[in-house]
Amino acid sequence: MPLGIILKRAITDIKQNLVTHVMTTIVVALTCLVFIFFSVFSINLQRIADRFGKELAIVVYLKKEIPQDRIPSLYQKILSMDGIENVRFVSSEEAFKRLEGYFRDEREVLEGVDPMFLPPSFEIQINRAVYNPARVRKIASELAKWTEVQKVQYGKEWVDRLEAFSKAVRAAVVASAILLLVMAAFVVSNTIKLTVYARQDEIEIMRLVGATNGFIQGPFLMASFLQGITGSAAALIVGLFCYEYVLNIIGQTSLIRSLNLQFLPPAYMIAIVFVSGLFCMAGTAMALRRFLRL
Amino acid sequence: MLSDEQAVIELREVEKKYAPDIVALEGVDLAISKGEFVFLTGPSGAGKSTLLRMLYKAEEPTKGSIMVDGMDLSGLSKSQIPQLRRKVGVIFQDFKLLFNKSVFENVALSLEVLGLKKEQLASRVRQVVEGVGLADKLHRKVVQLSGGEQQRVAIARAVVNRPPIILADEPTGNLDRKRTKEVVALMEELNARGATIIFATHDDALFGNTHRRVLKLKNGKIEEM
Repeated sequence: MPLGIILKRAITDIKQNLVTHVMTTIVVALTCLVFIFFSVFSINLQRIADRFGKELAIVVYLKKEIPQDRIPSLYQKILSMDGIENVRFVSSEEAFKRLEGYFRDEREVLEGVDPMFLPPSFEIQINRAVYNPARVRKIASELAKWTEVQKVQYGKEWVDRLEAFSKAVRAAVVASAILLLVMAAFVVSNTIKLTVYARQDEIEIMRLVGATNGFIQGPFLMASFLQGITGSAAALIVGLFCYEYVLNIIGQTSLIRSLNLQFLPPAYMIAIVFVSGLFCMAGTAMALRRFLRL
Repeated sequence: MLSDEQAVIELREVEKKYAPDIVALEGVDLAISKGEFVFLTGPSGAGKSTLLRMLYKAEEPTKGSIMVDGMDLSGLSKSQIPQLRRKVGVIFQDFKLLFNKSVFENVALSLEVLGLKKEQLASRVRQVVEGVGLADKLHRKVVQLSGGEQQRVAIARAVVNRPPIILADEPTGNLDRKRTKEVVALMEELNARGATIIFATHDDALFGNTHRRVLKLKNGKIEEM
């Protein structure tokens, strides 16, 4: 049966049972809205983790007694390591000047302190394109093995925690996605079952005049697909409005602005709409198979 | 008995039993040739409807084989049943119409399942509805029609896709004498155009003076009159 006829019959079915179909679409929309909320949270958390992770530098403190002529070769050695974007040498004097800068008006507390008491160090920037917490850990542990190195410092704990949290949220999003989509498919398939039940006479007549299973099932599958896509699209619109509203309230602070939060990427939104439609259709197909004894 | 080549419908040793021990049909051998008009008679409960239902595979025989227009029904898969039913137009005693839909929609259903284009479908439906004398009621809902008119809608739906075989199960059971004559005349006309017809009825008056073959079902067995 041509797609146009299936669509026409599906729309006629929806019109005939408008209230039931609208209620089902609302349930699908609410279900998708919960998933969208989790997704926006997860995506932005990932973005924050990526951004701060990329800005993290590894600081390599050298032993105080290191000869000055070793510095250039160490510099080159670090720079030649895989994944390093930039290396900067901070001498003991420069480190002391920075310390003075922190104290500003209270710099007298540093009077009498040896300007060379801080160890020299290298500040290493990781290449943003290849950044990931595991790589940072690997570089840091390798540097720590060098004899000239006194200590390697990076936001290890912070990176690890953020990574673990981000993973947990992502897992929650995937689990909720599956659960919610199954739920939406279940609700839609039950509505379709009710419609099938109400139209059993018509289905029987269709069979008697030689309708194929495709002819009988097609409009029901199309109706469930339409419910899936309209429900999820409505949820995206509501979700976007809620997101903008919340951002208007909390987004005035420079911290929030600097996080550069965003709603779901367009490809993600398109995927939500189509996957919802397909899940609803698959649920209906399974229900029809049992119900129509195909 | 007709040879396989001539028979459009052929039943061999067909038996139909219902649990626990009700015998609806027993050892039925029957051959109907192409273009034949056959009356199938017998008292209520004789098995007329059962026999017809087996011909469009709404029921399975307990034993025996059935061939319809070259199709062996025992070997027919579920997906092949629509092909069979497109060859067999059925007029039901209880009409089996969609009462909240129009005459046009009811008749068009037989063509929609074939995937006919809108214009082609509309012109064929109009033509057939006109043929059964309901042209002025094309867009009226079936529920608003009289019993005789509803029967004619059922006939129009059964013949609109021009099936080579028409099974009429007590098509005049609910009609008065005048409407009954009209329906029989309509069937004669369809037969004249080449359709093979089995007309099930328990009304002796319909075939009293006929030159047609009359098959009588009695105690699940068939006998020619």
